[in-house]
Parts: sequence; C-alpha cells; structure tokens
Amino acid sequence: MRAIHAVAFAVALLSQPANAGVPEAIDAFILPGFARFSAAATDLARAAEADCIPTALRPPFNAAFDAWMTVGDLHLGPSENAAHAVAFWPDTRGFTPRALQGLIEAENTVIDSAESFAEVSIAGRGLFALEMMLYDEGFDAYGPDSYACRLVQRLATDLAAQATALDTAWRDDFAATLLTAGAADNPTFLSEGEALRALYTQVVSGLEFTADSRIGRPMGTFDQPRPERAEAWRSGRSLVNVLAEAEAAVALARRLIDAELPLTDAALDSAKDAASKIDDPGFQDVGDASARFKLEVLDQKIEGIIDAVEQEVGLVLGLQPGFNSQDGD
Amino acid sequence: MNRLLATSALALALTAGAARAETDPAAVVATYADIAEAAYADSLATARALEDAVAALIASPSDETLAAARTAWKAARVPYQQTEAFRFGNPIVDDWEGKVNAWPLDEGLIDYVDPGQEGLMGENPLAALNVIANPTLAIAGAEVDATEITPALIADTLNEAEGIETNVARGYHAIEFLLWGQDLNGTGPGAGARPYTDYVAGEGCTGGNCDRRAAYLAAATELLVADLDEMAANWAEGGAARAAVSADPAAGITAMLTGMGSLSYGEQAGERMRLGLLLNDPEEEHDCFSDNTHWSHFYDGKGIENVYLGQYTRIDGSLVEGPALADLVAEADPALDAEMQAKLTTTMTALQAIVDAAEGGLAYDQMLEMGNAEGEALIMAGVNGLIDQTRSIERVVTALNFGAIEVEGSDSLGPLQQ
Repeated sequence: MRAIHAVAFAVALLSQPANAGVPEAIDAFILPGFARFSAAATDLARAAEADCIPTALRPPFNAAFDAWMTVGDLHLGPSENAAHAVAFWPDTRGFTPRALQGLIEAENTVIDSAESFAEVSIAGRGLFALEMMLYDEGFDAYGPDSYACRLVQRLATDLAAQATALDTAWRDDFAATLLTAGAADNPTFLSEGEALRALYTQVVSGLEFTADSRIGRPMGTFDQPRPERAEAWRSGRSLVNVLAEAEAAVALARRLIDAELPLTDAALDSAKDAASKIDDPGFQDVGDASARFKLEVLDQKIEGIIDAVEQEVGLVLGLQPGFNSQDGD
Repeated sequence: MNRLLATSALALALTAGAARAETDPAAVVATYADIAEAAYADSLATARALEDAVAALIASPSDETLAAARTAWKAARVPYQQTEAFRFGNPIVDDWEGKVNAWPLDEGLIDYVDPGQEGLMGENPLAALNVIANPTLAIAGAEVDATEITPALIADTLNEAEGIETNVARGYHAIEFLLWGQDLNGTGPGAGARPYTDYVAGEGCTGGNCDRRAAYLAAATELLVADLDEMAANWAEGGAARAAVSADPAAGITAMLTGMGSLSYGEQAGERMRLGLLLNDPEEEHDCFSDNTHWSHFYDGKGIENVYLGQYTRIDGSLVEGPALADLVAEADPALDAEMQAKLTTTMTALQAIVDAAEGGLAYDQMLEMGNAEGEALIMAGVNGLIDQTRSIERVVTALNFGAIEVEGSDSLGPLQQ
C-alpha cells in the first residue's frame, strides 16, 4: 500500500507544470547516475574475472570511478552510510594500505565469499582499495595465480554488489521518500521544500568538499605542500575528479530550478579553463610555485561556482543548505 | 553549513522582539553563555584535580596513585564533553579546541608503542618519533633539543609538528595515553594497561626514561589546566567569547544552532561514531586508551541537549538554567519544539544504551568488531538519532528564520568555522 501511495504521489508531482525540481533531479540525474555506476562496476567485476592484472583492469576501473563521481558526493538516504564504503577517502592514517597488507600477509579467507567480505573494514574495500592494488608499486606486482589476484577480483565483485545495492535502494525506496515529501506518512521530509533543500545541500557540500579537500588537502601550506594527500593521485585522477564533481554538482543544480544559470555556466567554464592549464593530473607537482598557483586558481574557480549556485539557485528558490556530513572538524 | 546559518542571523535580528517574542533572544543567549561559563569552570576545576592526582602519581608511583589519576581523568571528561556543543559556531572556541581535545593521535610521537605498529604506512613521518625516549629530535629537517620536556616544548614544537594534525602532543588524549598506554586488545576486552612502574624513578622503571615520562605527563597536565583557564575566562562576565555571542543575540542563537547541528551530524554521528564502525578499527574510538568512549559520546549528546533546554547540571549537582532555545521555538511552533525535544530524548536513550552495554562488559571498542551485530546496532541507533535530530535542528533554523534569506553573510557573525 505504501509503495502504491508513493507511486501515486510521484505521478502527481511529476504532472506539475514545472520543468525542474525534486522529481526532475531524481529522474534525469540521480537515478540514471546510480544505474550507470552499477553498470560500470559490474563491467569491472566481469573484467576482473577474465583478467585480474592491473594493466587489464585500469581502463574499466577508471570507467567505474568516472561513473561514481557523478553521484559519489550525494550523502543522503542510502548513500548516507554506503558512500563511505564505496569511496573511503581521505585516509589520513593509512588504513587502506594496512587493511590490504593485513589481508594479503595472512592470505585471509574472508575474501572467499561475498558475505564475509562485506563485513571487512571499509578501508579494505571500494574504489580506493582497488586503486591501491592496481596502481601502488607496493601492491601492483602480483601475478594471475596469487592471493592478490583473487583479492582484486573480490574487491571488484564487492564493488559491483555495493553499486547494485545503492542503485536499487535509491530507485525502489529513497526516490519515493524524496518524492512524497510532505505526505502524512513521510517523517523524513515534512515538505517539498525540505526535499529540495536536501538535494541543494548536496550540491553545495559537494563543491565545498572539492574545494576544501580535493584541492585543499594537497595544497597544504606554501611551506609544506602535501602532494601525498591528493585524492586518487596514484591513478592520476585528482584533477579528473575535481572537474567531474564540479560538473555533477552543476548538473544537479540545473535540475533543481527551471531557469537559465548563466553565472553558474560561466563559473564552470572558467573552472574548466583553469583545469586545462594544470600539468600534473595527480597534483604531484604542487611543491612547484607555478603549479601551486594554478591549483590555487582552480580552487578559486570552484569557490566561484559555489557563489554562482548560491546566487542563481539558492537565493532564487529561497534555499539555504542544511547541515552536511563534512561539518565536523 | 557555515554559509547558510550566516544568512539566518540577520533575518532573526530583524524580526525577533517584534511580533511574538515573549522570550527575549538576548536572555536565551545569556543562558547559553552562563552554561558555557559553568561548564568550562567545572572543566577547569576537574583538570586541577587531575593535576593534583598526577603530581601524587609522580611523587609516589603505585597502583593506587595511578588508579586515582585515571579516575580524575575520567571525572574531568564529564564537564568537558558537555562543552563540545559550544564548538563549531564560536571562532574563539574553534580556534582553541585543538589544544585540548585533538583526536585521533599518532601516540608514537610521544612514547613507546607496540613494536608491531612501527613503520606504518600512514601520512605521518613523525608517527614513531618517541619524544620521551629521545632528548634530541629531528623535526622538519631541523634538530630539536628536547632535553627538558616543558609545556613550551610540547605546545610550540611538538604539537601538530610539521603541520600534521595527528601529531597531538597535548590535551586530554595525550594525557590519556600517558595514564593508560596503548590498548593492545584490539576489539577484544580490556583497555590500555600501562603499569605504574612506567613512572618509577631509577631502579624499577619500566618502559625506559621514567623521569622524562613523568616530566611529559606533568607538563601536559599543566598545559591543559592553563588552556581551560583561558577558556573559562573567555566565558566569564566580560570575557571575549561571552561578548562575541551577546553583542548580537541573533548571531548568538545562530552560533547555538550551528554548534548543535555540526556536533550532532558531521562530528559525532559521522567522524566519531559511524566512521569507526565502518572501519572496524578500535583506534577510531574517541577515548581509545581508556575505553571511556561511551561516556564521552553520552556527554557530547548531553551537551547538545543542554543548549536546547537551557540547563546544565554542574559537577556539584547544582543547576544552571534560564530562558531557553526551547522556549523560543515553542512560541514560534509548539509542535516543532515537541519534535525537537522528542528527538533529543531518543538520542540520549540510544547513547544511554551504549553506556549501559559498555558498563555491562561490552566495551565500545568491542562494539566496533567486524561482524558484531549487537555492537553495530547500538552504535547505529546513536548515529541515527543524531542524524535525525539534525533534521529537526534544521527545521528550528527555518522556523526562527521565518524562511527569509535577505543577504549573503552577516558581518556580525564573523567567520564561522566548518
């Protein structure tokens, strides 16, 4: 009954004249995004079954990471907890190499089944554990008959299972929770405005995370740059991820409001332009003054997108972002 | 969150006191400052008691004096954790907090650790520096004379050395490590088991360099007292933190809500509880040496509730209370006040259940164990309560803001952190 009610409500909302809002964000952006990630992760798992060696797996790994970046910074609903298991970063205390080393040294049989592996620490699972296995010189020299090979295969199938579970949970459950905002039996969102604000919060907090962490962490200070703190630097994805997140945030913002966003578009273009001038896609040259300056410019451009989105979306819709999961220290 | 709450202050300022304010926002902020003053004063008093207990331990090390120092440390945590709700909206507190409660720490910076844990591939090159064993240190390529371990050495040279946050050389958790030592039981039963003989001068000293260990403990405790003295003064009549929230009551209320929401969601539910559970790592336990985490979480939650209800029970049992945020919300929207109070109660019930389980023998680090369904359920009930109450805090923001966004930012607020 509840499901039927939810569907009826969804139809009612969808039939409203506006071309933008929560239903559009879900149907045109969020659900297709999780479907793409699920498909890409499944492709990666199949590829790993066929050939577990890093050179073979890097392309499907990157395809899965690309797909993740469109929805990876959504931290609500099913993603509230699950996003951390897909992408555990930043790893400030080296949990991921420790977890992987522990499994490999013990040849831990926890990798033998999907059920047991699902209980493993998030540091030893997900995209960043795979990246370590496929790109880090301490881990990537394994052969096809090794424990490490089987570990990589399990990591890939576990990622695919996580991706499928997320896709299903969003499609079959949380989409309806957002769409039935304001209904008497919806304790999560008491009005459509709350659902809209929840999505808008993701736009702003994702961009803030990109500026503060994806760019800010490797920048460190002028005297003490921290290239080793760049996100996904081993696979040289740091810059790709910055741009992908910014594009995803803007794409989601566009679905929330039925209006042209000239300032936001210009700010995104400007960020892309700044990104095109960066030489090392893994930010490993941040110790060089001119490279650092280019990264600083990119950081400012991301901040510029936040300002534009606040002006063209937040202010117009009367939305302030809510608290977000990055609010701690 | 910083961006948004900054906008709400102004709207409140424009309307508060006009149509419906039987409760004066300025009086609500005054209660908040009174609670801060009392809670930081209690933190200072219990830290002084800890300092005395540490002096007794160093003067005559024994199982008894070590136990007394540990008990004093735990007692000092009770009021302090309740002050954490004053973070995240008050720059004076935010800029200072890292000195007293920074966590997690790479404790190998300070003293000996389990040999199996040396050479970890973390981001910190100083994770095994061991100041207590080494009178001469190399930090950031320079030689450091650590012959004498003083508060100044800890504060100016060691803490956050090389700009790395896990180089925590001072505060409650550094002292906790010196009193308990590493908890090497993983997710099994038992806390750190440092023997009192780690403080025995001369013959009988275990762990080496007992005199330097004692010097470190004394210096770190002295620093903690000085830091708390500073913050207690900031909230006393005429103090800078009290002035900052009182100058504009709307800004003060914004600070209250920012602290409540940021501590509930990003910090406590996220960093302190959920992350450790997802990592199954006992080192991701807030009080990982002493196994006192259940109480730290409980009193963090209590501190959030204190701010909303305008009440704080002091260590001597007396009650500080006054006009509350709850009164203000009840006047604007009685149903929302009821919802907020119910959510706070749900969270406190969940945190109490964690306390009961821990005191009953299932320590917090055991709850983190891979596959421990009971532990996971206990922790996630707390996490979910905290996340759920954050939604109501957002509704309170909206209710007191009358839904209006006037301008971006409020100059009266200054920079809100994180």
